Amino acid sequence: MPQGDYIERHRRDYGYRPDHFERKRKKDAREVHKRSQIAQKAIGIKGKMIAKKNYTEKAQMKRTIAMHEESTSRRKADDNVQEGAIPAYLMDRENTARAKIISNTIKQKRKEKAGRWDVPLPKVRPVAEDEMFKVVRTGKRKTKQWKRMVTKATFVGPGFTRKPPKYERFIRPTGLRFTKAHVTHPELKCTFNLEIIGVKKNPNGPMYTSLGVMTKGTIIEVNCSELGLVTPAGKVVWGKYAQVTNNPENDGCINAVLLV
Amino acid sequence: MVQYNFKKITVVPNGKEFTDIILSRTQRQTPTVVHKGYAISRLLQFYMRKVKYTQQNFHDKLSAIIDEFPRLDDIHPFYGDLLHVLYNKDHYKLALGQINTARNLIGKIAKDYVKLLKYGDSLYRCKTLKVAALGRMCTVIKRIGPSLAYLEQIRQHMARLPSIDPNTRTVLICGYPNVGKSSFINKITRADVDVQPYAFTTKSLFVGHTDYKYLRYQVIDTPGILDRPFEDRNIIEMTSITALAHLRAAILFFLDISGSCGYSIAQQAALFHSIKSLFLNKPLIVVCNKTDLQPLEGISEEDRKLVMEMKAEALKTIVGQGDEPTDSDSVLLTMSTLTEEGVTAVKNAACERLLNQRVEIKMKSKKINDCLNRFHVAIPKPRDQKERPPCIPPAVLEAKAKQTAEEEKRKTEKDLEDENGGAGVYSMNLRKHYILASDEWKEDILPEILDGHNVYDFIDADILQRLEELEREEGLRQAEIEDDDFEMDGTELAPEQQATLAAIRKRKSLLIQRHRMKKSTAESRPTVPRKFDKDKQYTSERMGRQLSSVGLDATLAIKRMRSRSVSRRGRKRERSPETRSADGGDGMDIDGDTASKKQRLSRSRSRSVSRAPNEVVPGEGFRDSAQKGKAIKLAKKSVKKRNKEARRGEADRVIPNLKPKHLFSGKRSSGKTDRR
Repeated sequence: MPQGDYIERHRRDYGYRPDHFERKRKKDAREVHKRSQIAQKAIGIKGKMIAKKNYTEKAQMKRTIAMHEESTSRRKADDNVQEGAIPAYLMDRENTARAKIISNTIKQKRKEKAGRWDVPLPKVRPVAEDEMFKVVRTGKRKTKQWKRMVTKATFVGPGFTRKPPKYERFIRPTGLRFTKAHVTHPELKCTFNLEIIGVKKNPNGPMYTSLGVMTKGTIIEVNCSELGLVTPAGKVVWGKYAQVTNNPENDGCINAVLLV
Repeated sequence: MVQYNFKKITVVPNGKEFTDIILSRTQRQTPTVVHKGYAISRLLQFYMRKVKYTQQNFHDKLSAIIDEFPRLDDIHPFYGDLLHVLYNKDHYKLALGQINTARNLIGKIAKDYVKLLKYGDSLYRCKTLKVAALGRMCTVIKRIGPSLAYLEQIRQHMARLPSIDPNTRTVLICGYPNVGKSSFINKITRADVDVQPYAFTTKSLFVGHTDYKYLRYQVIDTPGILDRPFEDRNIIEMTSITALAHLRAAILFFLDISGSCGYSIAQQAALFHSIKSLFLNKPLIVVCNKTDLQPLEGISEEDRKLVMEMKAEALKTIVGQGDEPTDSDSVLLTMSTLTEEGVTAVKNAACERLLNQRVEIKMKSKKINDCLNRFHVAIPKPRDQKERPPCIPPAVLEAKAKQTAEEEKRKTEKDLEDENGGAGVYSMNLRKHYILASDEWKEDILPEILDGHNVYDFIDADILQRLEELEREEGLRQAEIEDDDFEMDGTELAPEQQATLAAIRKRKSLLIQRHRMKKSTAESRPTVPRKFDKDKQYTSERMGRQLSSVGLDATLAIKRMRSRSVSRRGRKRERSPETRSADGGDGMDIDGDTASKKQRLSRSRSRSVSRAPNEVVPGEGFRDSAQKGKAIKLAKKSVKKRNKEARRGEADRVIPNLKPKHLFSGKRSSGKTDRR
């Protein structure tokens, strides 16, 4: 035993107290009651934290119990078979019901009308102009109000130079300019930090697209050369579209999902 | 900074605890209430403060960790190497490096988010930004969780390392496993090292301390080393090698000449030769242990040759140090830790050699010259050629010799005890040395308690004599008492004496009564000093009356009392000492009619007479009583109007405490603080 192990040395020389094991057993038995008492009496933030921790434990426990209760034996799934049902390999195209065709055409027409894209977030909350811009008063008497400052996250390209300050109508502050986005691949479920190449479309309007404002639902183009994707022809894919899934001005970062 | 106290490192919390601590501290120590109606600048300040505060705390705690863990390059190479052997320098540095990067990352996060917060325009936006910032900081800490756990383990182990001082006098014990190193250190120091028959019982370095020539030496016991190539050595052996390599110590190489450790002398000699490069410049002693099983003379020829080779090597270390004669005895020593013969000889030899070497080195170093100039051994100059050796009277010499002979001859109680079985088995006969009148009484059993009393309290050698004396005294006293009583009978007195006796008795009873009354009402009566005596009990007239009623002349007493109670006024110093000295002889004679000049000159007053209002007291500064009277009048006039109108005066000033601190600061434990 090393010289510095005081606890073990004491135990070796003097042993335990006569009632040590008894006390330990009783103390451990009391732990349960003590824990429940604390959980009941704690108020404020501490109470909330304890409740949350207990809830996650309870949920986890339920899940494990359910898992254990799953029977290992596999039984045959005895679904009721409908009248006139035939297996898939016997189905002919001509037998498709008419109604289905009609409903399909209607859906197609509706889609084309709405101009919806096949994207993860098809619908987003519209952002009003006064939410997007802040009025900046200028002039000697601060009466002119034609300038606007963007309050959302923006993207400006690498070769961007401002217009002369006297003439620029829209101010995009440096603190709100982002160059990188955290892009998640929907199938691989992993996230990469990729550079933004440009803003493709902002659902709130073409003006925002041209300004480069990124809000929730915006389609951006990211540089995915890191991912090493290759086209069937053999060319390397270096840019892909992604859709923004969070509010960047609230979180300080841009989270997007790759559109495959 | 050189730091050998690894126990002072603060505990490293693990990842989850760390974030909990910091976040709950932020929640407690920063303002918690904010509403969305507040001015935007106030909202921004509120949230920025939280982000900065959290970052600051993380920074402080992580910096503390980085600073307190020792840097392996800054400490003594012995400790540096030891820590490398035990914990792997690279892992250690990596872990600390990760902590450092985490600290920088957190700083950057805080900076970025504070910059973003400046563009916040609503409470919700600021709040979510703050949540994002804190969340990111906590993720950074979660990622370094394994490093924190590793550092905590290292810290716990480091705190239990033996405290070895690399710079002081050290004796190092090395050799094969199971040769008797730990038994040796158990014998000479108080270290309690495990001794077991299997090899590698000692798995780490052990330290013990021993004294020699009033100096303290550390003795370090190392785990056994096997004869292997350097790369194959395991961690335990590496600790011994580290100690051998870096500590400037006297080395005791232990040799088991009986072979009961399982290794032959040839193997041990091979080990010696493979590590002899580590013995350079260090006093080396080859110790042959377990001589009770196999004496040194009895070993075989080739073994003897090997041992002599080792001794030659060891001799080289002496000769290398210069001016030490071939004291071959102090290089190869034999001992047995079981029978304890030779143990102290080995220790003394090692300590002596080490001390000499250290002294030599110190003498040769440059620093000694500064000190040498200050040393001076004073030798008295001989004034003539006569020899004066120390003179010891022959009687003293004889006594000394006799004493030593006696000590050797005398059998001590401890020897008896050892003979008869040891401390637990034999208890000495305490009655053996009793000095009694008759020797047969030594073994008698004496009762200790009789009828509830201690017998010893009643034992006395000359008790009969004392009884006689007491009785004589009693007889005398009885006689006395009878005489006294005889006197006290009232019928023998003359009538006047009887009257005075009656008066005295009456007065005495009166006093007793009055005292009793006073005592009974003592609680409700205020204790007033005598000068405010309103009953006028202690006046001089009363005293005069009482004294005269008894029949004494009271006038002188009254005069004396009055003169003593003169009011304290500034008295002029006596200017003419000769007049005083003329009276000096009589000055003490107060009962006579002459009063001293002082008393005659000063005005004697008793305390009960008050002063005239306009009387000029010498210290006040008034010219005469008219001026004083005018001053008094002016003072009264100035105050009259204010008093009449009942306005606040000078004595009515008060400094209020309008904002007591306890009502206007601090958080409340439960409830809100919006009412102050």
